[in-house]
Amino acid sequence: MGEIVRNMSNIKDSTIPRRSLLKGAMIAGGAGLLGSSSAFGRTVAFADLKSQGEAAPSAGTWPSDFDPSTVTPKYDPRATPNPDDPIKVFDLTITDGIHEILPKEEVSMFLFNNQFPGPLIRVKEGDWVQVNLTNKSFESHTIHWHGVQVPCEMDGVPLGSQWPVRPNQTFRYLWRAQPAGTHFYHCHVMTGLHATAGLSGPLIIDPIDDPVMKTFPYTREYIMLLSELDTNYVRDEMNAMATMGHTMMAMDNNADLMHEMNGKMMGWFKDKAAFVESVKNGYIPPYLSSRTGFMRPLQLNYFMINGKPYPMADELAIKTGETIRIRLIGGGFMPHFMHLHGHDFWHVCQDGSPLQNPIRHNTIPIFPGATSDIIVHGTNPGHWHFHDHSDFCTNNNGVQPGGMMTMLMYEDAAEHGFNFQQVIQLSS
Amino acid sequence: MKIINYALIATGFLGCLGMKAGAQAQPTTLPENPAAQPQININGTGIVTLDGASKNTFGTKGFATNSAINLSDSALAASFSERLYREGIGSITFGAQSYDFTNSGIQTGLFVNQAFLDFQTKKFETYIGRTDAPTAMIVQIPTLRGDDLVDFTMLPNPFSDGTNLEESRYSNVGAIVFNQGLTYFENLHVQHLIDSVNSGTGTGLNSYGGIFQFETVPTLEPIATIVNYGIGYEHRSIPNSLGGSSDAIYGGGTINVKRGVTNRLDLRVFDAYTTNNNTNSIGTVNDTYRANANAIAVTLRYLNSPFGKPSYSVALTAGYKDFRNISGANESTLVLTAAKRLGEGFDAVAQVEYFHRAGALASLYGQSSSAIFQIGLSFSFGDVINENVGPRRTPMNILEHYLPK
Repeated sequence: MGEIVRNMSNIKDSTIPRRSLLKGAMIAGGAGLLGSSSAFGRTVAFADLKSQGEAAPSAGTWPSDFDPSTVTPKYDPRATPNPDDPIKVFDLTITDGIHEILPKEEVSMFLFNNQFPGPLIRVKEGDWVQVNLTNKSFESHTIHWHGVQVPCEMDGVPLGSQWPVRPNQTFRYLWRAQPAGTHFYHCHVMTGLHATAGLSGPLIIDPIDDPVMKTFPYTREYIMLLSELDTNYVRDEMNAMATMGHTMMAMDNNADLMHEMNGKMMGWFKDKAAFVESVKNGYIPPYLSSRTGFMRPLQLNYFMINGKPYPMADELAIKTGETIRIRLIGGGFMPHFMHLHGHDFWHVCQDGSPLQNPIRHNTIPIFPGATSDIIVHGTNPGHWHFHDHSDFCTNNNGVQPGGMMTMLMYEDAAEHGFNFQQVIQLSS
Repeated sequence: MKIINYALIATGFLGCLGMKAGAQAQPTTLPENPAAQPQININGTGIVTLDGASKNTFGTKGFATNSAINLSDSALAASFSERLYREGIGSITFGAQSYDFTNSGIQTGLFVNQAFLDFQTKKFETYIGRTDAPTAMIVQIPTLRGDDLVDFTMLPNPFSDGTNLEESRYSNVGAIVFNQGLTYFENLHVQHLIDSVNSGTGTGLNSYGGIFQFETVPTLEPIATIVNYGIGYEHRSIPNSLGGSSDAIYGGGTINVKRGVTNRLDLRVFDAYTTNNNTNSIGTVNDTYRANANAIAVTLRYLNSPFGKPSYSVALTAGYKDFRNISGANESTLVLTAAKRLGEGFDAVAQVEYFHRAGALASLYGQSSSAIFQIGLSFSFGDVINENVGPRRTPMNILEHYLPK
């Protein structure tokens, strides 16, 4: 079934080659890449299962006793790999490109490897991970590894833990994968714009022993990265960034222009005291109303699952009697209240870690920056809505139905007597 | 009539046709889908100066004074635009400005300087209505007011009696514009130049021409070497009673002598050469607009912008105009203009203008030299309501990839 193959297509397990095989390639994302045995950073091949969703490896024991020391990193974050330690290498290239939200609705965005969301990075707990970030856009970027206990220099905070990665520069991130669970990564430069406008992607650290698999043996899994867009805001900010980026690139190549950077160009200061002193000396901070007036609030008009709103969001597939795992990621500005029709499900992990006791829901809030893993049992054949129950988010540019909606589709629904053919509806 | 008028406003021309029949029977309201809410851009400029002159310069000849509170050239305009079905942009702009002080002195009423509709796609644009004359759009000379140096910085309107300088800056225009990469433009147009001298052309088209222009990427002007340039040709169908048709070639441009975001020095040049008109004496201001002449203006401007925000600017402009068919008639000018930014769009401004006129021009103005001193305030602002139409010329659209939205 074509739509099954598409299930993972927006989280492209794309042919990002290992650095040792191909150098500096920026591969256009595309559907149908999931069968590759040289898949993105993998050392374990899941080729047989890829087109049907993803399955995790071996199972472990569900945690029962509360142990406060479990927030302590299992591995020293500031350690470095030994010379003979294997390192999993990934190449990420940032460009500015076009993302099609819906047919005839496109927006300029920054993209990891020419796709939104960025490609899935999947490793095992304890793996050494190297990510080479190459910036081929006009703006500066970093990568923040959200939820991962990295050394501070790898945390991706511009001017906090590192210099921003400028156009035509490459930065090498190196860290040890911990803690296990569902995480994600995103740019941390002008986060409100960059993360929303394309630069985020899923990151899974598989546990050595997975308690979720043992208790809920699932055969497929899905990733749903939830996000929103204000297309006017993105357009205006991308143009502002293009102005600044091209201006700074011109300065890179001209000593006279670069001289202007010296204390009179950017609003950057050595420390708080230097900032306060500058204000006393006449610097007018940009947040004053005399500089900005009343800032226009965000007016989000598209609400997306893996970069696509209904009706273009990919459906989830299940069979009667099957168990699936869904990894929900709050990658946007807003909380979303994901409601699954016809089923209760188990909330098993939060921010990557198993809950002390799984919680039974039919609606689960996903907050910005948070991840939640749920387990769904195939107990009620049919085609079921799975959507944000806040109707602020179920529209496309103000037109309902749309937005953060998808379907849980039973592959054997017809065998159980459900014969309704879904109709794609663009307006009510 | 009311219903029909409502239909014209609310439903457009096609809707109006359907409404007519209804209005003739009995008034009914047909169900209509609401129109897409347009984006509204409001822009305005206010400038008021206290003017003093070395001689009786202000007002009309015979009633001149040497001081004035000058509130001319303050303007307000609103644009309404929407994205069209096939990715074009449609808009209407309406605006007015206060008259020049050279008006009879009773400064009532406003001059409608913008009243046009515009249609544009990525590669094509057409606009019809009252707007800036294409011949006044190549180079912007940074004086306080756009028409401070009409004789030197644009093609004066040969149909204007000179009372209102707006008649040289604005006209009724129908134009089509092609572009390459949204940086090179070819503008073909016809005009009705406002005929305040009552030459007999009525409201008819009395001018046509073409312009080739280059404009650098907007917002990146501080780092461009060549900011803009253009060259144009214009044919003015002047009646034989006023010397006959005139042809003009004009052009100019702006270069950054010193590029920079925080310190920028630019040089602007404009030249206009007119020929083929047979006016051979000067007795009125209109004669100076028609007679064959060559005019040139050059400006050197410094702009200081710490952290990329304009703080102050100083500009020195020199101009010279010579009338080839009228012996000894020429004029020159030197203007020093300064502005100090007090807030976003709010400036304290000052300007000193010196004029020298020779020959018939000195007789016309009753003086061979004069100086005008101006000090005042200026406020420019703009706002967007219901933003949903991305402008066509943006850094992303030009440098990265064109998106219709």
